[in-house]
Amino acid sequence: MSSRFAELLDRFFYRPDEDVGPFLADAPESDRDANAALEETPEEFLSFVLEGETYAVPIHAVREILKITVVTEIPRARRNVLGLINVRGEMLPLYDVKVRLRLAEQPPVVRAAADVPRSARILLLKDLEGDAGVLVDRVDGVVKLHLSKLEGTPELGVERNAIAGLARRGDDMFILLDVEQALA
Amino acid sequence: MTAPRALNEFIAEANEILEALGRELLALEAQGGAEPDPDRLNAIFRAAHSLKGLSAMFGLDAISRLAHRAEDLLDALRLGRAVLNAPLLDGLGQTVDVLQSMLGEASRGEDSADLRAAAEALASDLSRLAAGAPELEVDVLDQVGIDPQIRAVFTEYEEHRLRENVKKGVGLWKVRAVFSLEDFDTRLSAVNKLLKPMGEVISTLPSSQPGDDASIAFDLVFGSSRERAEVEAALPDGVSLEPLAQRVLTPAPPQPARPSPTPMPTRKPLWDDISATGTALTPLPMAGSPSGISSPSRVSQDSLRSLTNTVRVDIGRLDGLMNSIGELLLVRSNLERLAESARQSTGHALPKLWGQELQREARALSRRLDELQKGVLDVRMVPLGQVFDKLARLMRRLVRESGKEVTFDMSGGDVELDKLIVEELSDPLMHLLRNALDHGVERPEQRNLQGKPTRATIGLLARQQGNNVIIEVKDDGAGLDESRIREVALERGLVTREQTDEMERRELLNLVFQPGFSTRRDVSELSGRGVGLDVVKTNLQRLSGLIDIDSRRGDGTTFTLTLPLTLAIIRALMVNVSGRTYAIPLNAVLEIVSVKDDALRTIEKREVFEVRGQTMPFIRLARVFGLPEEDRNVHYVVVVGLAQQRLGLAIDELLGQQDIVTKPLSGRLRGTPGVSGATELGDRRAVLVLDIGALLEELVRHQLEPRSA
Repeated sequence: MSSRFAELLDRFFYRPDEDVGPFLADAPESDRDANAALEETPEEFLSFVLEGETYAVPIHAVREILKITVVTEIPRARRNVLGLINVRGEMLPLYDVKVRLRLAEQPPVVRAAADVPRSARILLLKDLEGDAGVLVDRVDGVVKLHLSKLEGTPELGVERNAIAGLARRGDDMFILLDVEQALA
Repeated sequence: MTAPRALNEFIAEANEILEALGRELLALEAQGGAEPDPDRLNAIFRAAHSLKGLSAMFGLDAISRLAHRAEDLLDALRLGRAVLNAPLLDGLGQTVDVLQSMLGEASRGEDSADLRAAAEALASDLSRLAAGAPELEVDVLDQVGIDPQIRAVFTEYEEHRLRENVKKGVGLWKVRAVFSLEDFDTRLSAVNKLLKPMGEVISTLPSSQPGDDASIAFDLVFGSSRERAEVEAALPDGVSLEPLAQRVLTPAPPQPARPSPTPMPTRKPLWDDISATGTALTPLPMAGSPSGISSPSRVSQDSLRSLTNTVRVDIGRLDGLMNSIGELLLVRSNLERLAESARQSTGHALPKLWGQELQREARALSRRLDELQKGVLDVRMVPLGQVFDKLARLMRRLVRESGKEVTFDMSGGDVELDKLIVEELSDPLMHLLRNALDHGVERPEQRNLQGKPTRATIGLLARQQGNNVIIEVKDDGAGLDESRIREVALERGLVTREQTDEMERRELLNLVFQPGFSTRRDVSELSGRGVGLDVVKTNLQRLSGLIDIDSRRGDGTTFTLTLPLTLAIIRALMVNVSGRTYAIPLNAVLEIVSVKDDALRTIEKREVFEVRGQTMPFIRLARVFGLPEEDRNVHYVVVVGLAQQRLGLAIDELLGQQDIVTKPLSGRLRGTPGVSGATELGDRRAVLVLDIGALLEELVRHQLEPRSA
């Protein structure tokens, strides 16, 4: 199911002004837990695909989505740095996160648009340490997720440090990326 | 409420005033025991006065109060009621420091009790100094017989100057000048200028006897040790000389004053009115008329104008301009390429003509762009003195507190550097100077024992050398102990014994820049806590600079800093290395040579080559960067160097020179070895700019090992 569709449905059905949370909070017998779930507004995430798995990052952490142009390699930089991209005069690093997430053995060599599939994009993420680009296979769209329904990552022997948790929406599962860790 | 913008303007202006104040104080101190130059004293007094007025206007009472006390003290000094001595200079120096701190707080909207208390304490010190030692003596003016009527119109300051002149035993003259109303101002200042080298113009008074309706007459009270004939000979037409005082001071008993040949009425308040309406910014006339009374032209001109005709600009705006110029440079090269291809298009004549036309225009654009670029670069340049003066004040205080005897020697304050670099330099330089005083220079007793002059010397010397500025921080103190450095480096595990065995003296000395190195465990009050030379080095590298050290046990230590003139736009050599383009800053490029493969030698398995008798390391950039190497018999070698270090970089192809705007790499990539930033070429491609200083550094530390052999 495309999450774009899910988002449309979301927009249609979800009405913040119908939220009854505040009234319930005043009612003395109201259940505390139910309260918390009802009061919570879902957060917006941007979902994207890495090696067939669907990941998501908070939308407010995304500065923009770019197509790949020229990538300048940086000699002796860390292995997960694919190179330098020129974003309207700003020189920013482009990162590979697949190796960190153990989705790939080797970071790809990316120099130009021809080196990646047509659907590939750069997510430009805002970060205190300096904005950075992350190469993804495909961008799906914006999805609303309830943070309170977050699951922990199951023990599968995978790299879990870079994953903040799992979120479900219907049949879709989203792996929430811990940006800070993924770029480390 | 004052608008923040206005406040910022004030802070900037006040800072300028304080800097000027500091500079003048230093100059005053440099004069030593000599009688202070009245012009200089007046300039300092004016600066304090302006600051008082300005800060009061902005409601910064604490600053205003302290400035007021300083002004009082300076006034007393000016009038000879206080004597210029070391405590007084110290007090004034401290005042400048405290005022600067207060301004800093004001700009951040803070107001700390500590500083307030310090200011109050200092203010009462200043008042005490101002009140101290009033000179009581027989009035010498009575002894030389000056018409009391004339004396009546003198201000206290003028009287003081007159007295000083009498004490010196110089002749006092009244210079009567009659000028036409049309050009009296220029002619009057011409006369002033003429008289100045021969003595002191104590006062300029309007004469009671105007020649006629079309002219105006002045009486200049002039003190000079020259003979009357000599002075008269120098005077232009319409200016005459007559004695003011009856005689030069002798120890004879006082004589009754004789009426002066030209009786003078009380001074007409003609120009006083004008100056009274002047703003607080120009409370006193500009330098050049030590009399305390301005020449009329000056007052009327200055009263409405601001003090300087400079514009203060946020450096960020200049950076913005610089970036625009960088983009324009790209457009230019695109334009040139287009013109060239149009010109060479075969077949039709029209595109060819257009091409030629376009090329001509592109060339004109190119020239203008060069001018624009140079202009913006010039605007960014500021003299190093901005930092040097602050450092000199600091050193003065530190030396006093240290109890060591030190002469602080400073030169090259007029050398200009990019504003950003100058700002960033103050911390590293301060650290080096503190180190020199704290660890370098010995106590006087110890120096005597070693047969050195009791007074040590710490030098801060700058000079320009091509596109670089060299700054030296040197002392003639104890110097560094190489064997001790070796021990400590081994102890801390910074190097292995095998490494130190191979190291030359200079390499050993350079170990002090390693993080975690300090030959002295106890951190004294003076040297910055916990901050070592490694930080100094990192700071300098951020400025694309290089630091080198030389030291002899017992003879002292010299730190040599090599810095580029500017970081904003640099000229770079574009090179290709296995298909990748890199920019090498041209200020580091010494020459380009070709070297045959069989001319390469190895020393300890490291490749070297020779240029005119000098052997230097041969570094294959491709190998260092782990790129595939091209097989070739002849290598292009870019010889680069900073300070004493030389290095040959083997590259594949030379692409030519280009002006580039270096952009720093984003935070995550900072510290990428050998790369100082990136720039963009016409095709929006990012091109890395090599950090030659860092590459040389790696070489010194034997770290420039190829990734894949």
